[in-house]
Amino acid sequence: MRPDMPGPNVVLLTLSLVALAAWLGLDTVSLAANRIVPGTGYRVFDVIGVGGALATSLPWLALAGLAWRPARHRLALALTLVVLMLSALPAWLSLSAVTLVDSAQARLGIGAGIWVVLFLQLLAMIELRRRLDLSRLIGWALVLPAVASAGLCLARWLEPLALWQEYRGRSGQFLSAVGEHLLLVGVAVGTSLALGVCLALAMRRWPGVQRAGFGLLNVLQTIPSIALFGLLLAPLAWLSANVDWLAALGVSGIGRAPALLALVGYSLLPMVRNTFVALEAVDAGVIDAARGMGMSRGQVLRQVRLPLAMPVILEGIRITTVQAIGLTAVAALIGAGGLGTFIFQGLGQAAMDLVLLGALPILLLALLVDALLGALTDILRPGGAE
Amino acid sequence: MTEWRRWAAPLGWLALLLAATLGMGQLEGLFRWIESDSRQVIYERADFLTLLGRHLLVVSVAAVLAILMGVGAAIAATRRWGRDFLPLVSQLASIGQTFPPVAVLALAVPVLGFGTLPIIVALLLYGLLPIVRNTLAGLEGIDPGVMEAARGMGMSGGQILRQVELPLAAPVILAGIRTSVTINIATAAIGATVGASNLGDPIISGIVNGNTAYVVQGALLIGLLAISVDSLFSRLPIATRG
Repeated sequence: MRPDMPGPNVVLLTLSLVALAAWLGLDTVSLAANRIVPGTGYRVFDVIGVGGALATSLPWLALAGLAWRPARHRLALALTLVVLMLSALPAWLSLSAVTLVDSAQARLGIGAGIWVVLFLQLLAMIELRRRLDLSRLIGWALVLPAVASAGLCLARWLEPLALWQEYRGRSGQFLSAVGEHLLLVGVAVGTSLALGVCLALAMRRWPGVQRAGFGLLNVLQTIPSIALFGLLLAPLAWLSANVDWLAALGVSGIGRAPALLALVGYSLLPMVRNTFVALEAVDAGVIDAARGMGMSRGQVLRQVRLPLAMPVILEGIRITTVQAIGLTAVAALIGAGGLGTFIFQGLGQAAMDLVLLGALPILLLALLVDALLGALTDILRPGGAE
Repeated sequence: MTEWRRWAAPLGWLALLLAATLGMGQLEGLFRWIESDSRQVIYERADFLTLLGRHLLVVSVAAVLAILMGVGAAIAATRRWGRDFLPLVSQLASIGQTFPPVAVLALAVPVLGFGTLPIIVALLLYGLLPIVRNTLAGLEGIDPGVMEAARGMGMSGGQILRQVELPLAAPVILAGIRTSVTINIATAAIGATVGASNLGDPIISGIVNGNTAYVVQGALLIGLLAISVDSLFSRLPIATRG
């Protein structure tokens, strides 16, 4: 080994060996005769024999080998390999589908092995992206080949995949559920942003409002979301029964109205806290300078204070939105619609693939929103993008 | 005397929690008024003390495991031999924060089946992240001069960890544990939808049967439990942050 050669990249080495063990040791797919019966698990060598299984472990060993002497070009090669292997996962599912499935009712489930490997591969990508100093955008672009591969395989070979069958059985419902979910989150975050900014401004003006406001919001957060949804059922049902114009507006005990109220209630605390802290943290010297230039109070607020506070306020919006995406899932329990409907339907019918159809998109939405708003915050921060 | 006053608030909340748990039946009149249409207004499928016990058990098992694993992982990632893992661990802790608890819970069920185990795993995974993040922040935030001085005094790595790093980072670590436990007390209630029996039971049953009194009973106890635990944490001697 040359003296200038860096030591092994322990992280990548560990990840590739653990992934190899999971790949060979855990079930990669499961096959069930129909929707309800539990499936039988198949490991890699159950599908393609011991020789084939050993052949599929070669890329992992290659990855481990590249991690042993991590010069830059080797890490780039390792990243390419990880991207290829990620894209090969749907191909593996297709191969299993073609080999194992023999009847039209049979359903192919994704096994624990695939999930673990997927997770470890994504970790390896994060590690490599950082080592190679690639931008966040390129990091996202690296997932595209895998997405394309998954799309192709779903269209051509993956008809028996249980998750895909659940989706095709209710594709219209699925799209409207995504729409409802986003609508609820958007309205809740928008309302709490408007209310939150007003409240934060009022708190700065009157210390009494500050104490009472934070006290109340803190207590509100300790009530579990599921309980708050339930608690709003009765009063709203009573209102809609007794106040005609509210009923005409669509307010009722179950459905969107209580869901939105609870969502706004939960969203207020992170929103108000961040907005308040952001407005407080603006340098007093800057405000003095603005006043000295003859700006009015309103001008100082609009042209100086708010723009400077923007990154921290955006951070609050990010936290709130991600939290609201998860809470909206719970709101499905009181009939608010959205992706949570599939989760609770699936749990009720013990149809785990239906649960996945609800849970996976929620997870993806949360990650996407987090990444997008994170990038926006970076851009708006004084000093510009990363 | 001051010692007594310090613990007055958490003990008061705990007493209130116990009183509400044991004496829920006495409040029948009140619940009759809330829910005048139903024949039965007090949740009776299991008694509240059992539900409270199961709730506490699930949350504390998850919390103990999360503390051991979270603090352990963060310590490992800040040692010299584990430094390589530090960026990955801290990035994982921040990405994991975006996972909605319901989704984590729902994903745990297909793998682990219905019952208490998926809840413990979901709570453990979810509770792990604030602990890892805060332990990392606490250990990384220590003044390098202090570490230098400890090393100069001839302390070994283990001594520095036990006598310098952990005591200095304790308030931040404790704040992480506090966040983790408080969130999990509320999240465990959702576990009632996947077949675990705890204080979420009355709530779910109330929503399903349209019985607000049940919902209020579950929410009241969970709220009191969360406030009691939170106020206990805030009174611990090493907690400096509110």
